[in-house]
Amino acid sequence: MDVNIILDGLWTALQPANLLWLLLGAVLGTIVGILPGLGAATGVAVLIPLTFGMEPVSALILMAAIYYGALFGGSRSSILINTPGDGSSIAATFDGYPMTKKGLAGQAMSIAAMASLIGGVMAIFGFIFLAIPLANFALNFGPAEFLLLFLFALSAVVTLSQGNIIKGFLTMFLGLGISTIGVDLQSGVHRFTFGLPHLTDGINFIVIIIGIYAIGEVLYNLLKPQYSGKSNGQDIGSKWFTKEQWKRSLAPIIRSGPIGFFLGVLPGSGGTIASLLSYSTEKQISKNKDEFGKGAVEGLVAPESANSASAVGSLIPMLTMGIPGSGTTAVMLGALVMIGITPGPLLFENSPDTIWTLINSMFIGNIILVIINILMVGMLVKILKTPPNVLYPIVLILSFLGAYTLGYSTIDFYILIIAGVIGLLMRILNYPVVPLILALIVGGDMEQNFQRAMIVYDSPMDILFASPIAIVLALLTVLSLCYPLIAKVFKRRKAVK
Amino acid sequence: MKRLCLLFIGCILLAGCSENTSEGKGTFPEKNIEIIAPASPGGGWDRTARSAQRAMNADGTVEEDITVVNKPGGGGEVGWQYLMQQDAHFAALNSSLLITGPLLGQTELTHEEFTPLAMLSTEWLAVAVREDAGIDSGTELLEQLKEDPKSLVIGVSPSLGSGNHLAFVQAVIEYGIDPTELQFLVYSSGGDIMNALLGGHIDVTSNSLSDLSEQYLAGEVDILAVTSPERLDAFPDIPTWKEQGIDMEFPHWRGIMGPPGMSEEEIASWDLYLSEMVETEEWQTDLENNNLEEFYMNSEETKEFLQDQNEFFEGIVEDSGLTP
Amino acid sequence: MQVAIRYAMPVMFIIGSVIYGTMIIQLDPATLGNPDGPKFFPLFVCAGLLVFSIADLVNVRKQIYAKNKDLELIAQLKSFKLIAIIIGICVIYTLIFEHVGYLIATILFMGALMFYLNGMKKWLLNVVVTLVVSVSTWYGFTELLQISLP
Repeated sequence: MDVNIILDGLWTALQPANLLWLLLGAVLGTIVGILPGLGAATGVAVLIPLTFGMEPVSALILMAAIYYGALFGGSRSSILINTPGDGSSIAATFDGYPMTKKGLAGQAMSIAAMASLIGGVMAIFGFIFLAIPLANFALNFGPAEFLLLFLFALSAVVTLSQGNIIKGFLTMFLGLGISTIGVDLQSGVHRFTFGLPHLTDGINFIVIIIGIYAIGEVLYNLLKPQYSGKSNGQDIGSKWFTKEQWKRSLAPIIRSGPIGFFLGVLPGSGGTIASLLSYSTEKQISKNKDEFGKGAVEGLVAPESANSASAVGSLIPMLTMGIPGSGTTAVMLGALVMIGITPGPLLFENSPDTIWTLINSMFIGNIILVIINILMVGMLVKILKTPPNVLYPIVLILSFLGAYTLGYSTIDFYILIIAGVIGLLMRILNYPVVPLILALIVGGDMEQNFQRAMIVYDSPMDILFASPIAIVLALLTVLSLCYPLIAKVFKRRKAVK
Repeated sequence: MKRLCLLFIGCILLAGCSENTSEGKGTFPEKNIEIIAPASPGGGWDRTARSAQRAMNADGTVEEDITVVNKPGGGGEVGWQYLMQQDAHFAALNSSLLITGPLLGQTELTHEEFTPLAMLSTEWLAVAVREDAGIDSGTELLEQLKEDPKSLVIGVSPSLGSGNHLAFVQAVIEYGIDPTELQFLVYSSGGDIMNALLGGHIDVTSNSLSDLSEQYLAGEVDILAVTSPERLDAFPDIPTWKEQGIDMEFPHWRGIMGPPGMSEEEIASWDLYLSEMVETEEWQTDLENNNLEEFYMNSEETKEFLQDQNEFFEGIVEDSGLTP
Repeated sequence: MQVAIRYAMPVMFIIGSVIYGTMIIQLDPATLGNPDGPKFFPLFVCAGLLVFSIADLVNVRKQIYAKNKDLELIAQLKSFKLIAIIIGICVIYTLIFEHVGYLIATILFMGALMFYLNGMKKWLLNVVVTLVVSVSTWYGFTELLQISLP
């Protein structure tokens, strides 16, 4: 690792033009992140024509800035109006929205931004020292390992729905069922598509997320008796988080960073799994378990930190091997190739300066984003002051728009409306939503890996013992399923004594 | 409530009239040109569409704005169904999936319903193994599969019946192996395939050269054969199937087509735009960056080419065992 | 009424899983590899859905009179009417969206919602918000984000 290269990279990243691109990308990314349905993929795709005339390095900086800008922005709407726009910002609703209800919206947003910053910075250090070994380690994940990873994630999330395990499993199976809609990759058989070509690629999980959360939330609030058509009049609270909040947050942030970073390196839906798993980990080990879900600051910062770290992690396979692990990184890869940078093992050997400029600009970008986000807190909380009668129609329109940009089809509108009504019912009758969403996100990959594993391995037992990683994941799955039981037994014993 | 009802009636009336408002006759083109990429941003179709947009803008023959619309779904079908309802200002990208779709019984939409406009580019497909696999040539690979078809796991993307899959099927048939005996694992993208290949979860892959070239240049994978008629300038060390005694040629082409019933004049305009476009420097650089080869044909030639391809794929799909 | 809504969910899931099961059986067999390959996973999901929805039904029965404030709210004619009207507006929006184009459809949709929720008295606010939101989203998406809307 040559210090000169690092300094050169810093110098390039600090060029006024590059800083400007960084700022532009960060702002645009935050905006597309806030809007439901739009995300970094759209942001990058929009900018492709613009990047043609740019220096390749500047284009890379711009795209990365949009990428994590969208991540910072993604949790804003979760915290403020309980409507995540993507899988990775769902976890921010668990405790972020309750904080808003308590009148702590400003603090919630500023501490979430800090958590993203620290998670991101930790992951950048991880990137510097571990990029290539980790990319190689990730290759060990084959059909068996992926299958077990998804099972672990699902079991960890189902057990989150404490006291309601049956309903948790029920909605998980519902999500898995929805994920089987579409063409089956291994055989090419069309399943449950009702002859609609739009459904051959399955139902987009983001449409369901927007439906359940945004539409469901609007309907729910309109039904409430205190709903009077006037402003919520909530106290927004200070912009700055308190010392005590900071003390409580630091350990969760630092624990969640590595979880997120590592899960981000694995191809697939890293951000969602990372944020949900870090939430469940914090909840299991926290002393303030009962506060989780009611506005515990730990429950907000952990997923934020993990999510931001996973974003950096997911750049690793794309840059080191030219293998995109998510839709967004695929768009970025395409755009990079068009401007003449071909990510892959050769990029690290032949032009380390490009990589170091990118790393340095990620540092600077993260800091810029925190500043932007804290400055924006004042603006964003105005959303809460908007009269609900004006806000809700706008949320509905943005939901429809977001759904349209995902598939360019009005079939998604029907799915959106149905998901909204089901979301309302689930909410009123206490059916947990998160198992459904996670199952929907990982279901497709899980099944394909299951089918591949069945072809490659002779018996299901061989899948469990396919490799040390598989054994560890299988153990974790069993452990997370049994944990609530064990905890109960211990509690009882204590009570008896 | 009354007001609401009135509004609804208003909407429905409006919906009825709007269809026949734009009937003014003028010279083509009279509004923006839209290129339909029947896939999500990031894929091959999307990249080709955006390259074309960029090159046409640079060329300047078209004075109107050119936009790219993504209509993903159904292996292109959603985009093509959408094109069916549009006028000559719209054109969609296509590939062999347009031809294999109806042959595999996945759709009723055939290439004959559209107006062929041009062939744009092609990439050649290649067969690769991990560098330490101990297989040195295409024939060695086929020999091993002939002895035991289940001894190797073959990864293809993005679906059975795709060019990647059928190119491999053609090679094994030429060598006298029954393709239905082979073990195929299907992955959703070329990136996933490379992960699985490097991680040792599959043994062989048939994929486009552009998806393989990075790892080939880095020495991680060996490319055993390529489907081009002659060795490629960019990769002079990779032998063709033909050299190894397998008589086959398999371009993975991408073309562009318009909606049904375009007039002579409109086709001529498109011929002009596209023939100018492929000459631009931007287009050539994009081809090079993406490891694509020039494959331009005008509307007449494309029509014939599609017919030939249809016959060719009919035979292969039947042998592949994919049809019931 | 409340009891009916409580039962509705598990019963809906049970019916759903039975329909799902019959659809699985009718799936085309795979032409390559194991002909039942595409059925295994859905069958497993279907079984899980059925088992847990029955378990849920039993559970719901046990606590059928548990207090649920939200439920009391929704189980009123007024609430049903509200939801039906909003859903109705959404469906009409979906139907006209591709025919009249984004801008007109959205103005009608926003207008209908705003007038329904805010009443006639605030007509100025309604009109202004409707126009500003419709036009600005349209401009933002088509011009700035280059996303083509009908």
